[in-house]
Amino acid sequence: MRGHQLAACVALLLFVGLNSTVHGQQSAPPPPAPESASVSDVDNGTVFRVNVDMVQLNVAVIDRKGNYVTGLRPSDFEIIEDTIPQKMATFEEGNQDPIMLLNPMQPASNPSASSVGDSRTGSGSPQFSSAGANVFILFDTSNYMYRGFVFAQDAISDFVRSLDNTAKIAFYSYSRDVARDALLTSDRSQVLRGVRSTVAGADAALYNALLLVLRDAGKNTGRKVIVVFSNGPDNASMVPPEGVGELAQSEGIPIYMISTREAKQDPMSTAVFERMSASTGGQAYFAKNWKEQQQAFASVRDDLSHLYALSYYPQPNPNRGWRTITVKLIGEKLKPFRIRTRNGYRPRPTGFTPDTPADTALAR
Amino acid sequence: MLGSSCPSASTNCLRVCLCFSTDTLIAADNPQAKGTTPPARAKDEQTQVTIPGPLRPFLRMAAISQQVAPDEVLPLLARNVVIDGYRGSPDKDPKPTEFLVLLKRYLQQAKELQSLAGSAESLHVANCQEAAPLLMIIGYRLKEGCGPDTELEASEPERAFIANDSGFPIAELEQAVREGKRFVYPFPSSLVPMIFRAEDWKLSGKGGENSDGDFVAGLLEDPLRARLYWALARMDSETRGFLRRAPGLPKLAPFSALLDFYGAELSIRSGRLLVPGGAAAEPAWKQLVGASPDSPEEFLTKLWSRDEGWLAAYFAALSRLKQSQLAYFTDARRLPRFYQALRGNDAHPGPARFLIFRPNPGLLLLVTRLQFDSNDEPLVPGNPQIWKEIVRHQPTSKVASEWAHKAGSWNNSEQLVEGMFGLSRSLNNGPLQIFLTLSEIDRVRPRNKRLSPQTVRLLADKFAKFDDQYLIFSEFRDLDDQSITRFLAVGEALDRIPDRTVRGNAIGILQANIGLWEILARQGQIPSTTLNDSWQRLLNPFSHASNPTQIFDAGRTSLAEIIHDASGATNPSENELISLLAGPEQSSADGRQVRQLLANRMRAVMESQRLASLDTLFSLANGLKRLSEGKTTAEALVPLANELREFEMPRPMFTSRERTAWAGGLYDNRQTELKIGRTLVQIVQSPRSPQEAADARGQLAPFLRDTLVGLNYAYYEPPGAQMLHNNPLFVRYHDFAGLTVVSGDQAWHTPLLFGRGWAAGGGAHLVGSLADLPYVLAQTEQDFIVPENVQALVWEDLVPSLLTSAVLPRWWRVTPVELHAVTLYQRTGEELLSAAAENADLRRGVVEILSDRILPQKQEQIANDLSSGAVQQILAEVTPAETFYLTAEFRRRFPAGNSDWRASGRELESLVSRYPDEVSWERLSQDFGVPHPALAQTYARELLNVKPFPAIMGYSSRLMAESWESNNLYWARLADELGYSPVMLNRLVPELTHRMIEKIFATHFEDWPAVLRAMRQTGEEFRQGKVAPLPKSAIASSF
Repeated sequence: MRGHQLAACVALLLFVGLNSTVHGQQSAPPPPAPESASVSDVDNGTVFRVNVDMVQLNVAVIDRKGNYVTGLRPSDFEIIEDTIPQKMATFEEGNQDPIMLLNPMQPASNPSASSVGDSRTGSGSPQFSSAGANVFILFDTSNYMYRGFVFAQDAISDFVRSLDNTAKIAFYSYSRDVARDALLTSDRSQVLRGVRSTVAGADAALYNALLLVLRDAGKNTGRKVIVVFSNGPDNASMVPPEGVGELAQSEGIPIYMISTREAKQDPMSTAVFERMSASTGGQAYFAKNWKEQQQAFASVRDDLSHLYALSYYPQPNPNRGWRTITVKLIGEKLKPFRIRTRNGYRPRPTGFTPDTPADTALAR
Repeated sequence: MLGSSCPSASTNCLRVCLCFSTDTLIAADNPQAKGTTPPARAKDEQTQVTIPGPLRPFLRMAAISQQVAPDEVLPLLARNVVIDGYRGSPDKDPKPTEFLVLLKRYLQQAKELQSLAGSAESLHVANCQEAAPLLMIIGYRLKEGCGPDTELEASEPERAFIANDSGFPIAELEQAVREGKRFVYPFPSSLVPMIFRAEDWKLSGKGGENSDGDFVAGLLEDPLRARLYWALARMDSETRGFLRRAPGLPKLAPFSALLDFYGAELSIRSGRLLVPGGAAAEPAWKQLVGASPDSPEEFLTKLWSRDEGWLAAYFAALSRLKQSQLAYFTDARRLPRFYQALRGNDAHPGPARFLIFRPNPGLLLLVTRLQFDSNDEPLVPGNPQIWKEIVRHQPTSKVASEWAHKAGSWNNSEQLVEGMFGLSRSLNNGPLQIFLTLSEIDRVRPRNKRLSPQTVRLLADKFAKFDDQYLIFSEFRDLDDQSITRFLAVGEALDRIPDRTVRGNAIGILQANIGLWEILARQGQIPSTTLNDSWQRLLNPFSHASNPTQIFDAGRTSLAEIIHDASGATNPSENELISLLAGPEQSSADGRQVRQLLANRMRAVMESQRLASLDTLFSLANGLKRLSEGKTTAEALVPLANELREFEMPRPMFTSRERTAWAGGLYDNRQTELKIGRTLVQIVQSPRSPQEAADARGQLAPFLRDTLVGLNYAYYEPPGAQMLHNNPLFVRYHDFAGLTVVSGDQAWHTPLLFGRGWAAGGGAHLVGSLADLPYVLAQTEQDFIVPENVQALVWEDLVPSLLTSAVLPRWWRVTPVELHAVTLYQRTGEELLSAAAENADLRRGVVEILSDRILPQKQEQIANDLSSGAVQQILAEVTPAETFYLTAEFRRRFPAGNSDWRASGRELESLVSRYPDEVSWERLSQDFGVPHPALAQTYARELLNVKPFPAIMGYSSRLMAESWESNNLYWARLADELGYSPVMLNRLVPELTHRMIEKIFATHFEDWPAVLRAMRQTGEEFRQGKVAPLPKSAIASSF
């Protein structure tokens, strides 16, 4: 079964009356009506089953100096999809437990008071410990990586060790083909063995690999991020970066790209890395040397530990194409701060997604 | 080329698989590491060679699968040295590649580790403080001294890279030093068998070992020796044992290249060389070569020395044929005559000049696929006179020009065949290709329906443009001369449309409709008795279509005719069309379920590609007509027109300027379609005239083309496809008009894959026709299969053919009886092998039959194993296609010999007598065979039973891959034994094939044992319910 966009995918069964047009899951239904259509159809007495995915946003709030802003409250954020204001369903900051805002059983949360200005930097190696957070690491083993291979392995190993034990990690490598070196696990030693088991390959099919990792990641519940260590130009992918970027946005998975100086020298890769990471809410780093690679990983780790996770169930929206997401901070006091998150998503077609061998590969 | 050992990719298509397993890095339980190598199965003299360190890291660095047996190690090492070890000509100071440099570095590091391991052959580190010597060898150091936070970091990158690449357990070492635990890593040297003794390998005065007595190191240093080793390793042991004695390895060395290409077909038995055609042909061979097969040394020396190797190539090509095919070629008169034609006036360049692959696929194809009539005369499409004209008009090369001149005196088929031998030297698409293709078309036709001379001439004349389309006529034998002629006329008419885009739309719509027709005809939904009429109805609407409106109407009418012929339906919805394409109506629950599944898969592709639905297009076309007649209003049509605008391009990642700079011309060729959508809305809203409204449906032509093409793509979706689901531009970008290629008209040719690795180009897409679409789609999607073994590869030379053979056949008409018969054929073959172990006469018969399909080395192994009673060993190595063939051929040769039947044989006999049609060879071959578009120029399913084809230049890999015919037979047997109904094969076969590909752990793309291993491993997982679990039906064994 194709993985859902997020863990909290809910099926809203709008059961209004019996009608011969009931679409069961076993049948071959036509493409589902958009949310707005379901309302009018309900009025007509038609029964629809509409899958509505919760949209989750990983949001970094940065001050003018580039420091993370912490301690914000749900009420400090405003989410707009296209032009439609959204109601926040959950709120989570860094290491803290998520707050269920739409669940009436949830006691009124008491998020810590806003501490604007009390921003922290990455010093002190904060641990990324969101419950259920999954980090998918993708390592370039193509020819490009040959010379700096072992240093890159060291840097990734350091990064793996630096994530605390509540985060699960999967480790993939790629050249022309992809290897699942360590499936998602909380066992660090298993991941480290995966890192050390990689060998250098040939062509680089980065976007193919990213697509497969996104597909795998999408099958898992909880927050997910992808961290790519690449040395630059893709020379073998079938899929274009646009398709991969859109999938990442639709799955709500930020992509962090760490690349070496050679990639910076390739303007096309530079453009893709910067834009893909920005559009998904991640970041791109171009490390000139081994030291900077380590710093980049430290920055990723730091970023992960300071993200706010907001979610909402989309209000009825007739737009079946690209939906723009805008997240704003409310209040004059918060105006100076900058927000980084994904900028939209495209609702997945939900009609026909039968099992495929690729979908079942991880189940084995 | 892939893998850590070969960062510098070779320019040829061979790739080295760095085979790398993640399990058991600590080799304590590895028998090979203890030096306990199983005995080699070859019967010639073998000695043992020591490899420093455990075998597993060595295999990894040498790019050899870790699933190989010890006696395969040195041959595969030699092979990799030959193919991937050096750059440049062997004669001109070749330079070692990075692969070889790293392998040598590894061997040096392994020796240092072995020295550290000492006599205990084990690396011990008691605690963190003692780790320094080991860390120094492997290029690591402690990051911050010893303690609970100890980490390792690379200190010498070259050494560290080798340690990592070879799979040294660095993570375990790090954990041990951090936790203060002992680290123990057994590091014994490994013994592997070597062919002959080291002194035999003293070539040209050089030692068989290098200066320090290391045979392996010597092999790495000398590509000539490596090539000879690789060549001899593929011969049977009796033959190579003879050659070792006479003429001896030093005298064989100059012939290494010829032995590499043609040695595997040689067979010396009891001091006599076996020649193609057997004893009856020996005088002719003696005459031709100038030596007797009774004197193999003299015979072979002359064979290899003559004409730069062409005589050796000729001998090897004929050696591959079945006995039944050889009588014609080895006739005393023809044998020298055909050879002389092959040799021509100039033997240069000889085949040995080609370094990696043998040349001349045409020669192998000619002798393998030449068809004979009931009088054992060559089947000549048309007549010999026509071929005289064809050859005279096809001077595509120097060789072809020579034969164009000679053809004037041809009077009979033998002269024609002689000419084809001569023409096989040409690598161009010349008369030989035409002859082979038309022979395949004629082969499947009854005598009274063979191609007329006029049609043959026409097909030959149009070959350069339409050759790839001829796959239709070799698959659908009922299409007659008129149908073929009609197609060519329509094709040429469309080709004359001046506007490139309009022409591309017209050709695309026609080809897409033909593709849908092929699917429905193949599935039996268009009855074979009406194929000609149906075909004509498909084509006729396009006869005079030249502007967009006519093209749209032609496509719509043609599609309606196809659907009507297949189902009787008129105006079905797209949803109903997809159901129709998914397969015939099913009465069983299983059948309905599987048909629904296949239909939904197609729908998922259509949805992912976001294509306009046929319903929308046709409703809009009807509405436009009514609008022009004043019978409807714009308001009613605007929503439909707006649907065409709904498709949004993926969010742009590049600016227009960037696209122009980084992917000029690649991206924008389909933007026009989106603009059309906008224009159409404007016309609907305010047409300037009724005629403009009526003609506006012409603007729907590109949308219709995309949707029809999308249906073709969806039907042939390979298992695990990602492009079809994640790149909504994939179908839209299919370029019939050739807008993305600078030269050549691709519109009727097999599509090229364009734009791979071109990030700003919008993704890979196809440029060309829909011919060969199943294969090309498989080629596109194969990169999304994830190998199970780290650093194992998806072999692009093999995998597309495997996927095509899994996707194209459907099993709707297969009965439970038929399915069970497939099982019984395989089981009976196994029973025959078991019985042959106890019966010398039977053994000879069995080996003789199998010799039609297998090379001498495997023949010898089977004969030896049968003699020694090692039946289980044989059963593990014999393929399902071989056991299937063994039974079929045994039954044919010994119709009364059923005293040899055991339980399965008796059951099969009973089944044959009760259901003669269902279990006939022809029926089973059609239903469980595979398509051979390269080998036999047809997508018809068939079991050809040829010996495994070698890698040859040109379209080599497809020939090789198509000679593998075991998968579907094996999956069918599994399904039968596990109680699945035959229709379930429609789901099981793609999924099992996908899983099998994930498991292939091969050293090179001709590694058939690895393919067989992967197939059996997948079968075992299936039996255990780990893959493709499906509800079982109770009907499978109910007959």
